[in-house]
Amino acid sequence: MLRYPFLTWLILMTATAVSADGLLFERDIRPIFKTHCFHCHGEDGVQESDLDLRLRRWIVAGGESGPSIEPGDPSSSLLLDRVSSGEMPPGDKLLPESDVEKIRQWIARGAPTAREEPETVSEEDLITEEDKLFWAFQPIVRPKIPNVGDPELTQNPIDNFILARLESQELSFSEAVDRYPFMRRIHMDILGLPPTPEDVKRYTTNASPTATKRLIEQLLASPAYGEKWGRHWLDIAGYADSEGYTEDDRVRESAFRYRDYVIRAFNADKKMDQFIREQLAGDELASSSTILTDDDVQKLTATGFLRMAADGTASSGIDQDLARNQTMSDTIEIVSTSLMGLTVGCAKCHNHRYDPISQIDYYRIRAIFEPALDWKLWRNPSARQISLYSDAERQKKKDIENEVASVAAAKKKKTEYYISLTLEEELSELDESLRESLRTAYTTPSDKRTAEHKQLLKEYPSVQNISPGSLYLYDRRRDEQARGLDTLRSKKEQQFINETRQRSIAEAPLDVQEALRDATGIKASERSQQQQGLLKKYPAVLVTKSNLATFNAEAAAELKDLTERATLFRKTKSADDLKSYTDQIAEIRQRIPKEGFIRALTEPKGHQPATYLFHRGDHQQPLQKVAPGGLSILRASQAIAPQSESLATTGRRLAFAKHLTSGDHPLVARVIVNRIWAQFFGRGIVASLGDFGKLGERPTHPELLDWLTSEFVRSGWQMKHLQRLILSSATYQQSSRRRASLEEVDPDNLLLGRMPVRRLESEALRDSLLAVSGELNREMYGQAVPVREDEVGQIVIGKEMLDGERKPVKGSGLGGQEMRRSIYVQVRRSRPLAVLETFDAPRMTPNCSQRSVSNVAPQPLMMMNSDFSIRCSERFAERIRKEVGQQTPQQAVRAWELAFGRAPEDGELQAAIQYLEQQTKSLPDNKDPLATLCHALISTNQFLYID
Amino acid sequence: MNVIQQIARRRFLQRGALNLSALATAWLIGQDKVQSEPTKPDLERAAFNLRPKPPHREPRARAMISMFMQGGPSQMDLLDPKPELNRLDGQKFPGNIKYDNAAQASSKVLGSPWKFSRHGESGIDISELLPHLGGIADDILLVRSMHTGVNNHGQSIHALNTGRSQRGRPSLGSWMTYGLGSETSELPAYVAMTDPNGLPVEGVLNWSNGWLPSLYQGTVIRPREPRILNLEPPSHLLGETQNNYLNFVDRLNRSHLKEHPGESELEARIANYELAARMQSAAQEALDIKQETMATHRLYGLDKPETQEFGTRCLIARRLVERGVRFIQLFTKNQYWDHHGSIRTALPKSCMKVDQGAAALVTDLKQRGLLDSTVVHWGGEMGRLPVIQNDAGNAKVGRDHNTYGFSMWLAGGGFRAGQIHGATDEFGHHAIKDIVHHYDYHATLLHLFGLDPDRLVFRRAGREQNLLDGQSGQVIPGLLRNNI
Repeated sequence: MLRYPFLTWLILMTATAVSADGLLFERDIRPIFKTHCFHCHGEDGVQESDLDLRLRRWIVAGGESGPSIEPGDPSSSLLLDRVSSGEMPPGDKLLPESDVEKIRQWIARGAPTAREEPETVSEEDLITEEDKLFWAFQPIVRPKIPNVGDPELTQNPIDNFILARLESQELSFSEAVDRYPFMRRIHMDILGLPPTPEDVKRYTTNASPTATKRLIEQLLASPAYGEKWGRHWLDIAGYADSEGYTEDDRVRESAFRYRDYVIRAFNADKKMDQFIREQLAGDELASSSTILTDDDVQKLTATGFLRMAADGTASSGIDQDLARNQTMSDTIEIVSTSLMGLTVGCAKCHNHRYDPISQIDYYRIRAIFEPALDWKLWRNPSARQISLYSDAERQKKKDIENEVASVAAAKKKKTEYYISLTLEEELSELDESLRESLRTAYTTPSDKRTAEHKQLLKEYPSVQNISPGSLYLYDRRRDEQARGLDTLRSKKEQQFINETRQRSIAEAPLDVQEALRDATGIKASERSQQQQGLLKKYPAVLVTKSNLATFNAEAAAELKDLTERATLFRKTKSADDLKSYTDQIAEIRQRIPKEGFIRALTEPKGHQPATYLFHRGDHQQPLQKVAPGGLSILRASQAIAPQSESLATTGRRLAFAKHLTSGDHPLVARVIVNRIWAQFFGRGIVASLGDFGKLGERPTHPELLDWLTSEFVRSGWQMKHLQRLILSSATYQQSSRRRASLEEVDPDNLLLGRMPVRRLESEALRDSLLAVSGELNREMYGQAVPVREDEVGQIVIGKEMLDGERKPVKGSGLGGQEMRRSIYVQVRRSRPLAVLETFDAPRMTPNCSQRSVSNVAPQPLMMMNSDFSIRCSERFAERIRKEVGQQTPQQAVRAWELAFGRAPEDGELQAAIQYLEQQTKSLPDNKDPLATLCHALISTNQFLYID
Repeated sequence: MNVIQQIARRRFLQRGALNLSALATAWLIGQDKVQSEPTKPDLERAAFNLRPKPPHREPRARAMISMFMQGGPSQMDLLDPKPELNRLDGQKFPGNIKYDNAAQASSKVLGSPWKFSRHGESGIDISELLPHLGGIADDILLVRSMHTGVNNHGQSIHALNTGRSQRGRPSLGSWMTYGLGSETSELPAYVAMTDPNGLPVEGVLNWSNGWLPSLYQGTVIRPREPRILNLEPPSHLLGETQNNYLNFVDRLNRSHLKEHPGESELEARIANYELAARMQSAAQEALDIKQETMATHRLYGLDKPETQEFGTRCLIARRLVERGVRFIQLFTKNQYWDHHGSIRTALPKSCMKVDQGAAALVTDLKQRGLLDSTVVHWGGEMGRLPVIQNDAGNAKVGRDHNTYGFSMWLAGGGFRAGQIHGATDEFGHHAIKDIVHHYDYHATLLHLFGLDPDRLVFRRAGREQNLLDGQSGQVIPGLLRNNI
């Protein structure tokens, strides 16, 4: 016992290992049946083979095949037979051997129950006494701060909780971390950016005992703080800049305002209870005036939280009812995993298999959102937007649209002109006898055309198919015709020249004709004087292109006609001409004041749609009506009135938000505090951040969780207060180095006898690469930085420029927007940015409760070979050269300082210099060895991990 | 299970929970080993990987090479002779026609300027423009009754390559690798090879994973350096420079590890750098055709300028199949076969480029014993009309689009050999006998890979989606060797 005290503690914590003597139906057997059997044998009025397994009594009574157990005699218990043979449950999933064994032992001991069974099973009875005792549903009680053996080691109560547990295992804290790694750690944790060498110097040379305290305050006050911590909130909100659901994955132009709201809220340290209330019911908190104040705008923007779920309802070709209900269930999933830390969504189709959440509970929560997300009275995403236009702007837009209308009318007239011109051109190519009847056929409206008309048009498809949309094709055809005329003209021209020459020779006296022919066959410069004289006398013999008109007016006129016809063909550019109208319209519209929108959730006034429980979650099978409410296990099933007395809308969401943030809700504040903790320590006190239910993990330090939660609520839900406490704790300021004594007892560091080594999150990695290369653009807020597919389909930052066939055309840059922090990069569901996705940026399906951290070969490949990392290395090198000049040792020192927040040790510096020499030799002359040093540094574990 | 076991297990699963990377090299992720299924399949987020997965039934094929002739090769000039057209040459076409280019539309019949003759023991008629194909007539299944029914390039490409005419769905190669995983851990499972003169119509969507995890996106082997993005650095960093870099990174990482003894995550990343370097050299090795004999070079036409480029890609495709790559698609450049005009000069040129390489691929796979397990496909997204487009003289005439009846050929992987399947009407306009819709073709392909279209599903937005997407695709026994 003494040898493994820690393991003993773990076993006591979990209470799953129970000796066979104590097996009870309610606690040990019923959960097995609930998970695997109730669905067909008990719930929803389904009792296949007439068998109901929800009470021991009914199990003994059995069904069609007779009694299912014989208490005391496992070998004659049909149920045991069925499960141990694998016959039940049906399908691929079998009961684990341990469960079968449990059932066997329970039967053998006479199948005891904990207490007398109820007469019948109602919904409320779904919740057993055991459920009620589950840790996560217990009220938050501020625990006593434990005493520790070595109080000098503690900075604040966090340390008491951690150290007391360590001391109970005869362990203690690790030594404090050095100032250099601490500086990098705290910068990364608060800002998601590395410290500059100047930051490091200032801190490490500050001998004041309050230096760390001041550092913490300074960092918490930085605007970069909101960009780092806002990102964590966006994960659980399922933030995306596109609608998802369908293949077209439409862009959400206005979602960014919600992202900015979140960043601002974190930077302002907005109280979290208010923050949550605004997000769930900002519309019901805003003034009901038609003119929006800044405060109204903020509150309405906050409801964007409830508009983050994928919403495909603006797309065509989908099952609308299905899509609408999917948006609703995704929204419920986001709300429940992010705020309540429970997988409520599992109760959509049937009672939760593990947690005491009934299907009715699920639909109670649905009823809270039904008035705003009513699938029978749906508004698609654009209809839900709220305009930020003022009245004056609206009027201006109207005026400009009037202007547009007159240009559009002119365009229409011009189109008609081109159609008739094209028609006449086509007709002129045809036999004259056909023209009139074809013209009539074409100009007759298609529904009035006779059979002869139709037959005629079919034979002449190039007439039949003239339309505004095909005009451009006839422009091309005119070009071809013009080229044809050109060819004809030059052929004719040569012919006319020859004819004119021959004729003029023929008209000369017979005796000079021979001499004239000879003279024309000789180069002008080689002609004799006599020949020149002769030619002067008969100038028409030397006819050329330029003087043809002088000698043959008729021929010249014919050529001129050909030229003019070709010119006319060339001049008629119907598509270009019509496009100029379109361009003009676009130009006029440029003057329309840009209309901003809020992506918000609102309710129609007085709208109280009924919510029905859907059989097996299928919206086509509604059963009974359900009223709004919270979870039964929290005795909150009646907590929400269907209609508020003071609001024009139902007020259900506001009431729900108040219920969640009352301070009495056992989950909301715990879940938030636990998430904050996890960001610093790499693991939550409850390791499953989004699941505080039975399948989730149990807290490693339950009293600490409760103390922090009560401290958080007591402080007025101030996030920064909580973070300040954590950052100034001795626990956080420990070294991350493993120690043999710790490893033996606690290899997974559950007791926090040291800090963990953590990998940078994808955004921190990308932002750090930009920061060290000196390229980071710190501009805050606004429209998302766009992403596009590159030539092979990788997603990179940039504006998409494609031709009509989706092939890339050369586009322009983004003017430095490329270098903005990752939180501002467009989150298009179908286009995750490659560099972020490679390092585990989440896909929002529908949100992300907890990121995974992978360690796979594409990551080194991206660092080794990607354009992004190589470009960063090159800029990094340029920056160093600019800052410290051309001397190799100084360059290497600066590289270390920028990348790692410290100077290199001697051995490192020597190695770097040697490496630079090697690279100078192997690289071509025009390539930069220093860039390869930078490339190496950003590729190291030291860069990628936080010590 | 107690907390410590649970956490250990969760960590184990997380390491195995595969990163869904959009990187061209995301396929590498399959390196991680998860040995058991999660105990809570309903609640765990699905983990995706490229480890080999058992098909639903005994497969006939395990790899596929598709040569996509983008633009639409003219079936009546290449694979589907129509004497009736030559008889009616220049006369009014006696039926209804849907045109794409109105201004150049005409209703005059265009007979084929080229001769057909019978080849092999099977006696399949093939045009004089494809002499090498004639040489492998007994190895191919010629389908003359393809039909997608959507008369634009983009839409018809998507129908053939993703099952539906609209954009955004996963491509065939993505479905295959999603369903079957990869047999190589050092090369991409799904490779797209583009033409040096540019991308086909619809660009990168041709090898898109759509809404499947991006792990299943096609990796492009580019026609220039670096051939595979992220798998090779720019050329100035290759070779010794990269070795120096890797050694230096390794040295720094190892001294960092000394400061963090026992930190297995850091050790694993050091190992991943080594793995990454191995993958880089594996890819370079696979692309290195210098290792092939002169005879092989000649077989693929690498000794002639007009066949060298396409032949090289065919040869690389064979090397990739040998090394376990699941799905390879070669594309001709934008609208290479879209012969709206000057068909008399342009079509022979297009045929010259691809005929030898394509036939060599079948011959070579066969002599290496790989043809039985490898499907080879040759065809475009459409065929052409029996009438003239651009009636501006013999040299200028062409043919407009036709997706109502066109031809393609298949070889290996369980497809029948030396056979013709289906037929078009007397003008080659509409498929009329044994019509093969794109979804029938897909059902048959999946069947040969041992996959059941109803079971190869991906759950998305609350629904189970599959390649056929509710269309009535049927496995067509007439396409299969021994009808199975």
